[in-house]
Amino acid sequence: METVIYLDNAATTRPNARAVSRAQAFLDEKWYNPSALYAGGEGVKREIKGARESLLSRIADPAQFELTFTSCGTEADDQAIFCGARRGNAVTTSGEHAAVNASFRELKNRGVEPRFAPSLQDGRVDEEALLSLVDEKTSLVSVVHVASETGAVNDIFRLAALVKKKNPRCLVMSDGVQAFGKLPVRLTKDIDLYTVSAHKIGGVKGTGALIRKKTLTPFTYLYGGGQEGGVRSGTENVFGIMCFAYAAEDKFSSLQADGARARELREALFSALDRDIFARISPEEGSPYILTVSARGLRGAVLQQLLSRGGVYVGTGSACSSKKPFSAAIEACGYREDVLYGVLRMSLSPQTTREEVLACAAALNEEARAMKGRL
Amino acid sequence: MEKVIVIRYAEIHLKGKNRGYFERLFGVNLERALKGIRHELHRTSGRYLVAGYPEEMEEEIFTRISRVFGVHSYSAAYRVPNDVESIVEAALLVAPEEGTFKVETHRADKRYPLTSMQLNALVGARILEKRRLKVDVHAPQRTVYLDVRENGTALIFGAFEEGAGGMPVGSAGKGLLLISGGIDSPVAAHMIAKRGMSVKYLHFHSYPYTNDGAKEKVVDLCRTLAPYTGTRVLQTVSVTHIQEEIHKKCAPELNVTLLRRFMFRIAERVARHESAKCLITGESLGQVASQTIEGMTSSNAVVTLPVLRPLVGFDKDEIIIRAKKIGTYDISVLPFEDCCTVFLPDFPAIKPKLSFIEEEEAKLDVEALTKEAMQTLERIEF
Repeated sequence: METVIYLDNAATTRPNARAVSRAQAFLDEKWYNPSALYAGGEGVKREIKGARESLLSRIADPAQFELTFTSCGTEADDQAIFCGARRGNAVTTSGEHAAVNASFRELKNRGVEPRFAPSLQDGRVDEEALLSLVDEKTSLVSVVHVASETGAVNDIFRLAALVKKKNPRCLVMSDGVQAFGKLPVRLTKDIDLYTVSAHKIGGVKGTGALIRKKTLTPFTYLYGGGQEGGVRSGTENVFGIMCFAYAAEDKFSSLQADGARARELREALFSALDRDIFARISPEEGSPYILTVSARGLRGAVLQQLLSRGGVYVGTGSACSSKKPFSAAIEACGYREDVLYGVLRMSLSPQTTREEVLACAAALNEEARAMKGRL
Repeated sequence: MEKVIVIRYAEIHLKGKNRGYFERLFGVNLERALKGIRHELHRTSGRYLVAGYPEEMEEEIFTRISRVFGVHSYSAAYRVPNDVESIVEAALLVAPEEGTFKVETHRADKRYPLTSMQLNALVGARILEKRRLKVDVHAPQRTVYLDVRENGTALIFGAFEEGAGGMPVGSAGKGLLLISGGIDSPVAAHMIAKRGMSVKYLHFHSYPYTNDGAKEKVVDLCRTLAPYTGTRVLQTVSVTHIQEEIHKKCAPELNVTLLRRFMFRIAERVARHESAKCLITGESLGQVASQTIEGMTSSNAVVTLPVLRPLVGFDKDEIIIRAKKIGTYDISVLPFEDCCTVFLPDFPAIKPKLSFIEEEEAKLDVEALTKEAMQTLERIEF
């Protein structure tokens, strides 16, 4: 296949080649079981400890927080939710990723009442409504940091403080998968649980992590050999973990500059789109890496396929897979059906170039115009 | 002593002078089903015998045989020399540990020194010496079957497994199935193949309104049907442009009716290429707006080949039960959205008049669109 213009980096990123080649040593020479007591095993264990500390210290104080490696962001979210919401009710937003949304709906079967706060039109949670859902019986509040479908950024630190003021015993978690390595983040004492994923920042699929306040009693959910402090047993995914740490190293070294550049490209992309066809859904002050638009009256999934034929890969609100083939998260922002069907999400990476976003915009304009003519 | 599998065929024995033809075809189909497994297939009078296979493949062979049409029943058996000692030894392996039983003998070799009744009594008595069993000749819990063959061997087995029934595929000509990816059409294929027809597949897609996932789903369905039908090719045709033209120019309530007429026209052309003698669909009377008698009439009107609709009198529930049994149901319900819903009218016509349909269709260049669609014909081998 000829070169692809890839603008679906919120779904997954191309693995960072430098990180992968550095981690290669853990497949070639240092492949020992980290739980083994001979020198080889001990060596690997030390490297994992280093990776854990380095990842954690990028966004939180290692004295107050600890980090558990998981198999993905979804696993981290599930662990946080099912262990955090054990009684009463649990509150979340309507803009969550399925990893959180589906787990909240499952809470009902486990005797905890899930509550969903409405979204504002720009994709952020309606803060007042969220706070009004929190009461003395609330055991967990979960607010996505960067909404994956719109790029809207919630002020989780302010919200967490307000939630704690209302109910100090309730836990606050945030899905940070689209924020980690992309926004400057420092976890405050009001955040109890925070989840991240490796393959959204140049790591490989199969690694995520849950960051947890040390004052919380750890929740064991995979019993076995006692790895990850006994919380999540199972032989560590050493290669994935090392890739994660190396990729984060690169990502954080230029986080600010990359963000500024992405914002500029995002705006260049939007300005190049035909305004008669495409309406903006992502807020300007949202994540610099995500631009969600709607080709009103057309089908996002169909445009996506037409573009893919020409080697341009973009995302849609959600795959053409459910009864309602559009995103519930964007529906919650109050858009009508003709807008929802037309949703497309372009997500950038630090490697994205100006030529790529302009070529993508040109292809989008051309295909959408042609499609309008055919129908 | 050797383990073998006895396969008995259905209905073929009804055929008079054509019997040789049916038997040969049945043998070919069995060989095809067992492809890739070391075995010997022998034809003896009225049955086939699979021998010389690796023991760990026995379960797999059963599974494959159970899906070959024309198989009435099959049994796992022991093949032994026909002396009494050998027969008893094998019979003990087949006989139950407790409960009631009887021995039932069939002698193909009428020169055998013992009659069937004598052999029943003798082997039964020998089993009773070793086991705490009771004989019940009227309603035994288990039966030990002895089949004394002409070639100095005997087959001993304890059960008949029910086969798929029907006629050997290929004995009833060839038909072309319009396969959608839903629950019904694979069941229709199964039913028609069961009566011996060789089924070819044709799928219509509307890329980019449908995606490759939808096409792959159809391939998966055909692959699941392959043990029954033997067919390993799917042909596809794009009807995207036709749908767009209908959508743009014709009355919306006729969208589906008109599209189906195009599908039938295309299918007939593909069928002629394939020397298929009929079209097959999974339509069931009244299931959706296009499956009314008026809808069927309007589709039939554009073709001369007969259209077989084996599910016409079935309820959805009945179709689902069959789809689950064949193993296609789980694939059919996979949610690959037909983005064709772009073209779905709010209120489709339930009883479209042929004159109205023809009037609306006159707005399109039917021949050119059909020809253009034929250019998109693709073959997928799986």
